Amino acid sequence: MTALHTRLFGLLATTWGGVLLYFYSSMRMKKYLAPDFHILLLIGGIGIVILGLFSLINPTSEDSCGHDHDDDCDHDHGQNHGPHHSHDDCADCSHEHDGHGPGITYALTLLPLIGALHFTEDRLSAIGIAKKGLYETPNLTAPADAPPFTREDLEKRVPRNLDGEFQLSLVTAYYVAGDREVEGIFDGLPVELEGRLVEEKVNNESGLRRRIYRSIISCCAADMSIVGIPLEFETPSAEPPNDSWVKASGTLVFEDVGEDRVPLLKVRQVIASEEPYSEFLLRQ
Amino acid sequence: MASFADPCLDLPKSLQREFLRMQVCFCAISRFTSPVTELREAQLQDGSFEFLAIFLEGLPFIFMGTIVSGFLGTYLPRNAFERFLPKNRTLAIFVSGLLGAVFPVCECAVVPVIRRLVKNGLPVSCALTYMLAAPIFNPVTAISTYKAFNNSYAIAGSRLAMGWLIAVAVGLVMARIAHQHFLKPSAIESGNEHHHPRNLKTAMNNSLRDFMDVGLYFTIGVILTALLKTTVIDPTSDFWKNLADNSLAATPAMMVLAFILSLCSTSDAFIAANIGNFKYAPKLAFMVFGPMMDAKLIFLYSTVFRWKFIFFLFLGLFAATWGLSLAFEHGLGSYDSFMESYWGSEKEVAP
Repeated sequence: MTALHTRLFGLLATTWGGVLLYFYSSMRMKKYLAPDFHILLLIGGIGIVILGLFSLINPTSEDSCGHDHDDDCDHDHGQNHGPHHSHDDCADCSHEHDGHGPGITYALTLLPLIGALHFTEDRLSAIGIAKKGLYETPNLTAPADAPPFTREDLEKRVPRNLDGEFQLSLVTAYYVAGDREVEGIFDGLPVELEGRLVEEKVNNESGLRRRIYRSIISCCAADMSIVGIPLEFETPSAEPPNDSWVKASGTLVFEDVGEDRVPLLKVRQVIASEEPYSEFLLRQ
Repeated sequence: MASFADPCLDLPKSLQREFLRMQVCFCAISRFTSPVTELREAQLQDGSFEFLAIFLEGLPFIFMGTIVSGFLGTYLPRNAFERFLPKNRTLAIFVSGLLGAVFPVCECAVVPVIRRLVKNGLPVSCALTYMLAAPIFNPVTAISTYKAFNNSYAIAGSRLAMGWLIAVAVGLVMARIAHQHFLKPSAIESGNEHHHPRNLKTAMNNSLRDFMDVGLYFTIGVILTALLKTTVIDPTSDFWKNLADNSLAATPAMMVLAFILSLCSTSDAFIAANIGNFKYAPKLAFMVFGPMMDAKLIFLYSTVFRWKFIFFLFLGLFAATWGLSLAFEHGLGSYDSFMESYWGSEKEVAP
């Protein structure tokens, strides 16, 4: 690398680090990363900026290091040409070059990054949410947020709201379905669930149903899965609007849909709530 | 005075070929996209979201890997590994497959590290074994797999054992092949670096060069992953659900899914546990194949290996994982009875 290349790469690294720090400082990272990874984003961002700035200030030029680089070669060679391999032969040489020029690296990394920053809405579309499992039925091999097994455990572990309803994790309510033993404890239970509202697209011939969901991640939004529970209202309801955070209270029941067993909340009331610090629930 | 524009015009042939491949890939993908504008907008939104999620998660790890590689390349004496590893090459490969337990790294960070270690004299077969095994055979992956599958030692153990077995097998095979056939020349030769002084400036310069090189391929891989995830694959479709009872077909399908999803090895067990009611083999294959070979990794691997080798590595890993997964499932009986034998007959396993 020439000194100029080093400086240009340093500038690019500083930009990448700046993007990481921007996501951290603006808190937009909450939409993409699990809380455990926030600090890694900060450390990574600072580290990359330091690496970039260091290279900007102290560029190393390999053609000044005493090797056989007497030409003004600006290729990214990872190899020593040696006395028998001059740069005149480079057009015909068969070896592959180590690394790429700054132009290519800038184009292939910055353009997609700028495009993604432009087009993202910091969330998935309705189609994307559906592909992450919004309308899927529970699978018992997934133990996320394992529910309590006895009524006593339930009473001990799960707090109640002012109306005496259990403030149950939506994920727990979701995964209870199918395990008949545990289901018996939850069936008919007065509960309050918190999550985002969306329209119901399955088993909703009456038009009385909507759906509440939460996102679960381990590391980043790319490994996100979504669990949703249908809400059944007594009369058609459009309030609160879709996409808002709500607390839905009512009675948790379970119904058979085809070969699957799915939870259903018979709604007593749905009230708007504040968006939590992170909308993700952790698997671990 | 050199012009920084020159390298862009003087593209290496390998990069030109990569552009061609990308073009073909983009064309193929575009055929899958619907003509409905709303759908395209959604795909664009979701693709950008997925891209940024993986980019933000992966870049700090790439950085850490390249910092380690840069400093190793500068300060680690050449052939230092010969002192640490057993003299017997076969034994050294076996041990390399276990190194992830001591030096745990994810699949993104491991590539720059082994790149530099190979240049510093680590036997290529050992480096390859470590590269394939470390993302699976490490404590973080073991714990996440254990938790994802209802505290199952058997599944976590099977995953680690299978990852180690395959990595060692690949290492043993590659030990018998001259590395010029599968390593890029730039990865074989140490170039000018060994002449540089061992100081911070050199270490940082090495780190920067590795970071730019690996970061470029990482970005290309993430773009491809985001495109495929938002346009081609829908794990909730009937296709995937109908495969649940057929491990023979479901196993390769799950490997393809793992390849496209390009998940981190520390989190993929939770996805495997959640995708449908597959039996043991498909889920195990998903968790073993993905960390060894996925859409972003092939671009990272291309910084070290020749494309031809990556293609054969893909085929080899695919076949080995497929066969071993089915063998594991067969040996332990069906997934359900296997789980029941561990948890007792009272616990219901599948709905």
